[in-house]
Amino acid sequence: MDFELSSTQRALLEALDTLLDRHAGTERSRELAELGAYDRELEAALREGGFEELFGAEEAGPLDATLAVERIAMRLGAVTPVPRMLVLPALGLEPPEGPVVLAVAGDPGPIRYGAQATRMLLADGPRCVLAELDPDTAEPVPSAYGYPLARPVSRKSRELGPGTAAAMMNWWRVGVSAEAVGMMRQAMDIAVTYAKDRKVFGRALGSFQALQHRLAELSVAVEGARWLVYEAAFSGARAESAAVAAAHTMAALGRVTRETHQIMGAVGLTTEHDLHLWTLRMQTLRTELGGRRGHDRAVVAARWGRAS
Amino acid sequence: MDFGFTREEEAFRAEVLEFLTEFRGMNGYFHRGTDTAYGVRQVYRALGERGWLSLSWPEEFGGGGLSPAYEFILWDELAYARAARPPMGPGLVAKALMSHGTDEQRNRFLAGLRRGRINFCLGYSEPDAGSDLASVRTRARRDGRKYVVDGAKCWTSNAHWSDYIWLLCRTGAQDSRSRGLSVLIVPLDTPGVSVSPIPTLDGGRLNEVRFDGVRVPAANRVGAQDQGWQVVSSALAVERHVQFPPKRLRRDLHDVLAALEDAGVAGDPVVRRRMGQLAVRVTEVEALGLALLGEVISGAPSAVPAAYHKLAGTTLAQDIAHAGLEFGAQQALAVGTDTEFLWRQTILETIGGGTSEVMRGLIARQEFGLRA
Ligand SMILES: Cc1cc2nc3c(=O)[nH]c(=O)nc-3n(C[C@H](O)[C@H](O)[C@H](O)COP(=O)(O)OP(=O)(O)OC[C@H]3O[C@@H](n4cnc5c(N)ncnc54)[C@H](O)[C@@H]3O)c2cc1C
Repeated sequence: MDFELSSTQRALLEALDTLLDRHAGTERSRELAELGAYDRELEAALREGGFEELFGAEEAGPLDATLAVERIAMRLGAVTPVPRMLVLPALGLEPPEGPVVLAVAGDPGPIRYGAQATRMLLADGPRCVLAELDPDTAEPVPSAYGYPLARPVSRKSRELGPGTAAAMMNWWRVGVSAEAVGMMRQAMDIAVTYAKDRKVFGRALGSFQALQHRLAELSVAVEGARWLVYEAAFSGARAESAAVAAAHTMAALGRVTRETHQIMGAVGLTTEHDLHLWTLRMQTLRTELGGRRGHDRAVVAARWGRAS
Repeated sequence: MDFGFTREEEAFRAEVLEFLTEFRGMNGYFHRGTDTAYGVRQVYRALGERGWLSLSWPEEFGGGGLSPAYEFILWDELAYARAARPPMGPGLVAKALMSHGTDEQRNRFLAGLRRGRINFCLGYSEPDAGSDLASVRTRARRDGRKYVVDGAKCWTSNAHWSDYIWLLCRTGAQDSRSRGLSVLIVPLDTPGVSVSPIPTLDGGRLNEVRFDGVRVPAANRVGAQDQGWQVVSSALAVERHVQFPPKRLRRDLHDVLAALEDAGVAGDPVVRRRMGQLAVRVTEVEALGLALLGEVISGAPSAVPAAYHKLAGTTLAQDIAHAGLEFGAQQALAVGTDTEFLWRQTILETIGGGTSEVMRGLIARQEFGLRA
C-alpha cells in the first residue's frame, strides 16, 4: 500500500495546474458563466496536453485521470471532464471534439452544458446510446448554478453493446464525486483562510472552538470522500465502490455547502465574493444520477442485489 | 395554560385571510420579481389604512391596544401567503420611539409609520461589525445642533427603497464598545448619503450605505447620547414574535411536497419518511413560536425563547429546501421554481437577524449561565 502521489502523478498535476492557470480560475469562469459558454480552448489544451489519454495510458491510468478531473473542477474549468476523461475512455471510445454530456433515459434533466453539447451518452437499460445532438433544438433552462443548463434533443443515435450502461454509470459516479471533492476542498480552503483572517470580538474567528470543531468535522467528511473516490478509481469503478464513494461524497457536499457559507457570514452570500462559484456549482453535481437517493440505492443494489 | 387563540383573535385571522385575497401570488415576502418594492409598499399602505400596522401599539399613540397575538396572527398569515415580512418602521422603530423617543419625534414619525407611509431600514452592521456589533465604527461627531456622520453600513436590507435609516453609530471614544454608541434617524435623501447594491446569491440585493459628512439634526437622536445600545436592545426584544413567522415553514413544506409530487417521487418511502420528519419539526417550531409569543405577551420577554425559535426555524427552513433539492432530482435546479429558489434563499436565513452561532451562545449564557 502507498498513499503518496507518485512523482509522475505530481508532475502531471503540476503540468495541469500550469495549463489551468491560463484557461481556468475565478475570473475566466465568471466571464464564461456570464455568456453561458463552454470552454473550447481549455478542451483543446487538455487534449493537446495528453490529459484526455491518461485513462488508458501505460504510465498513467484511471486514478490519474480521476485526479485530473478533481483538479479541473477545483479550478472551475468550464469543460466536461467526466465523460471525456473517464466515461468514454472506459468504454473504449475516443472523445469527439466539443462538449459531451451524460444522461439517464427517463430523467427529465436539465443537464449542464445540455445546449452546447454535440454528443450525449445516454444510459438506457443495460446499454448506452451515443446520440448526436442538435444544439439549436435544445431547450435551455435558466440557471443560477454556474453551469449553463438545458434539456438536449437527440438526432441520430447509435447503440453500444450490453453492459455499457453499468460501466458508464459507475465511472460517472466516480467522476462526479471527484469533481465534488475538488470543489469541496476549495470551499473549505476559503472558509479556513477566512477563519484565520477575520477578527471578531478582538480575536480570529477561527479561535472559537465552536467553529474549530465544525471545520474539523467537515475536513473528516471531505478527506473520507477523497479517499473513497481515489479507491473507487483505483479499483476500476467497481459498482459498489463507485456507489459508496458517490453516496458519501454527496452527503458531505450538502454539509460543506451549508457550513462554509455559515462560517463566512454575510460576505459569503454575496455574488461579489467567490465562494458561491463553487458552492452553487456543487448543487448541480448533487442532483446527477438521481442524487443521494440514487447513490444510496446503487449501494444497496451492488451489495445485496437489486430489490424486486 | 391555554394554547388556543381567543374567538376574537380567530375572527381577526379570518379577516386577514380575506384581506389577503387581494395580494395572493405577489411574493413580497422574498422580494422576488421586479415590482416588489412597489408591491410591498402597497401592502404596507393597505395594512396601515386598516390600522393593522399598529395593532398592539397603546391607544395613546393611535394604536389598537390589542394583544401581541394579533400581530403574530397577521404576520404569520402574511408569511404563509408569501405576501410580506413585517416592516421595521411600525415595529421596531415605532416601539423604540414610544419608550425612548421625545414627544416631538413621536409626533413627527408615529402617524406616518402607523399608516404605512414611511419606511425604515436598519443600519447596524458594518464590514467589521456583524455579530460583534459593539465594534461599530461609523462615527457621528457633534457639531452644534447637528451631528456629522462619516462611515459605511453594509448588508442593509431595503435601503434602496426606504425613506429613513435607523442608524447605530459611534459617538464615544473609538474603543468605547457598547458604551459609546447612539441611534440617529437619518433621512436617506440627505446630501452625502449614498446607497449601492450588493447582489446576493438568491438573486436579491442587500445594500451598502455610505455616509460622507452627512449633517443630521441632533433632534434626530433617539435616546441619550452614548445610550444607543440600550435603545437597540430593548427595541429588539419587543419585536421577536413577528420576525420569523413559523407559517413560512409550513408553506415551504407544502411547496416542496407539491414539487415532489410533480416530480413523481412523493410516493417513495424514503421521501415520505423524510417529509414526515420535517413535518414533525415544523410543528415543533410552531410550538416554539407560540411559547415565544407567550413570553412577549407576559410583558417581560427574555431573549432565550426567541433564540430557540430562530435557531430551530431557520435551520429547519434549510432542511426543507435541502430535501427539495435532494429529492427533486435535476428538475429542482430549474430557476424560477419555488424549490430551487428556496434552497438559495434559506442559506441567508441563518445569518441575517443574528447568526445561529450567536443564538447558540446566547442560549448557553443566558439559560445556563455558561461563560467562556
Ligand atoms: C439576508 C440578510 C439581511 C440582513 N439585513 C441587515 C439589515 O437590514 N441591517 C443590518 O444592519 N444588518 C443586516 N444583515 C447583516 C447581519 O446582521 C450580519 O450578517 C450578521 O450579524 C453576521 O455578521 P457578519 O456577516 O459580519 O458575520 P461575522 O460576525 O463575521 O460571523 C462570521 C461567522 O462567525 C460566527 N461567529 C461570530 N462570532 C462568533 C463566536 N463568538 N462564536 C462562534 N461563532 C461566531 C458567526 O456566527 C458566523 O458564522 C443582514 C444579513 C443578511 C444575510
